Amino acid sequence: MKKKKFGLLERLYNNKAEGVIRAFDTSSVFTKVLSAFIAAACIFMLIISLFPVIWVILSGFKELREIIRVPAILPESFNFSEFFTTWKQLDFGRYYLNSGIVMLGGVVCAVLFNGLLAYALGILRPPGHKVVFALVMWSMLIPPTTSIVAQYVNIRRVVDFFAAGLNVKAQDSLLSVAPLWLIMGANAFWMVLFKNFFEGIPKEYFEAAQLDGCSNLKIFRLIILPLSRPIAIVVAIFAATAAWSDFLLPNLLLNNGPWETVMVRLFEFRTAIRVNDADKLRAVVFSIIPPVILFSLFQKQLTKGISAGGIKG
Amino acid sequence: MSEKAKNAISGWLIMLPALILFGFFVWEPLFESVRMSLYNAKGYTLTEFVGLANYRSLFASPDFVIAWKNTFMYIVWSLIIGFIVPIVIAVLITESPILKSVTRVAVYFPNMLPGLAIVMIWAFFLKPGDMGVLNILMSKIGIKPFTWLTTKGWTIPLIVLTMTWKSAGSTALIYMARISDINPELIEAAAIDGAGPLRRMFSIVIPSLFGLVKTMLILQIISVFQILYEPLMMTNGGPNNASVSIMMQVYRYAFDQFNYPKAAAVSVMINIVLTLITIVYFTVTREKEEAV
Repeated sequence: MKKKKFGLLERLYNNKAEGVIRAFDTSSVFTKVLSAFIAAACIFMLIISLFPVIWVILSGFKELREIIRVPAILPESFNFSEFFTTWKQLDFGRYYLNSGIVMLGGVVCAVLFNGLLAYALGILRPPGHKVVFALVMWSMLIPPTTSIVAQYVNIRRVVDFFAAGLNVKAQDSLLSVAPLWLIMGANAFWMVLFKNFFEGIPKEYFEAAQLDGCSNLKIFRLIILPLSRPIAIVVAIFAATAAWSDFLLPNLLLNNGPWETVMVRLFEFRTAIRVNDADKLRAVVFSIIPPVILFSLFQKQLTKGISAGGIKG
Repeated sequence: MSEKAKNAISGWLIMLPALILFGFFVWEPLFESVRMSLYNAKGYTLTEFVGLANYRSLFASPDFVIAWKNTFMYIVWSLIIGFIVPIVIAVLITESPILKSVTRVAVYFPNMLPGLAIVMIWAFFLKPGDMGVLNILMSKIGIKPFTWLTTKGWTIPLIVLTMTWKSAGSTALIYMARISDINPELIEAAAIDGAGPLRRMFSIVIPSLFGLVKTMLILQIISVFQILYEPLMMTNGGPNNASVSIMMQVYRYAFDQFNYPKAAAVSVMINIVLTLITIVYFTVTREKEEAV
């Protein structure tokens, strides 16, 4: 074999074992051009993915005058006080708290109920589990959003029933928030993520406990859940962002009450006249901060979880 | 009681809470939609049985027909724009000599953002006139401002573009996982046989994605069927109903006009179409759990 210099490109491709380009290809001019083009495309994708979010944060620093009149990407000055003013004026602290409450309950329900269902379907497999699984999978193909009207009417009936029984106004009480928690417990995608993971746990881990007469629930709590931390984290983050981002049902249930969430507030801007563009932009920034923080903390687990689960969140 | 019966009971008890939730939030509303669509209602109390009258009134309304046509256009455009993009992203990131993991994380990032916030950001980007962000960027390279979403014919493709921006990254991750599952020896053997990188791509990598492509296709059609936030927030269905989707029509009937039975009738029809698509899909592929 001809002795050659160890080129930069060759070194970059040295450990690559997936895809089609290998280190031994790098001597050809065609591959050199191709890889330069691919690298450029990656940088381009990086910019496209991040620019809109960077832009909205930058624009948050602008005064209203700048937003309406100055056609520039960068703000004239970086003035945090604009953010504080909008935060106070639109009373965002309250909506953050409400969204946090909706999110927290949603995460608990998502992990607990989908986890339990996956445990029964994947490990306990009581008679009839196949039918149940088919029914659950069916809901993945015919998404519940399409029945939003019936879903809402059903929820309304139950909520109003309890509100009348307890003699409270539904909108003011946690009765309107509870459906938003519970609905997170019926998600086929997350159930499947759990089920796939549980099925990968070696049987030895819980067979001994079964022989010792441990109850199924105890096995779930003490063995299955602790072993399933990686997937539970992924589901928890999916549920947290879903609960934070949802606005259709929250808007119907919480609108004009004390429990309005950040997204409900944002949705109201659609028709609000007194909210100007500057406040709108800053409100958007506020609404993306928690998901961005979650994402930066857990991006590794998330990207891994999606690749492993092979489904969308 | 036998051990087996005991286990069966405890298994069902453990499933029960989740099954009640699925029943209440997912399964029962499907039937409730059908029932509601056959009645007249006052608020959300059903009053009298009217048979198919709600359906008949739907077919008589021009908005309804336009909404179906538009939804079809959304699907067509999402297949043109949104379907290829994730595959291209997956291939490019896999083959890139630099910035692989950063790009991987970055393209997934928009998927985490609230849909409503994304729609609002893009509304600023696509604003017509001098202050729209894209128009500002274009003026820097000397291109005249464009009217974007308010231009008939551009509305749906542009909305699909913003949807693609949000979701392409997460789909790309799935494709990337499949690509990295390909046995490297296969690629190396092809290389020894003299196949160049492009030939390896089109003869080995792309064909290995076919199974997944079919699943993604059906999931994408189903998700585009539900498109609601984007037209609702970006154009409110305009200009002149050019971007009203069928789900938006459900929303309008139910929550603007408070005509729940009419909205339920539309829901039922969407579900029928989705069921048909699903049946066709399963008959064609017979690979039930591939989505998993």
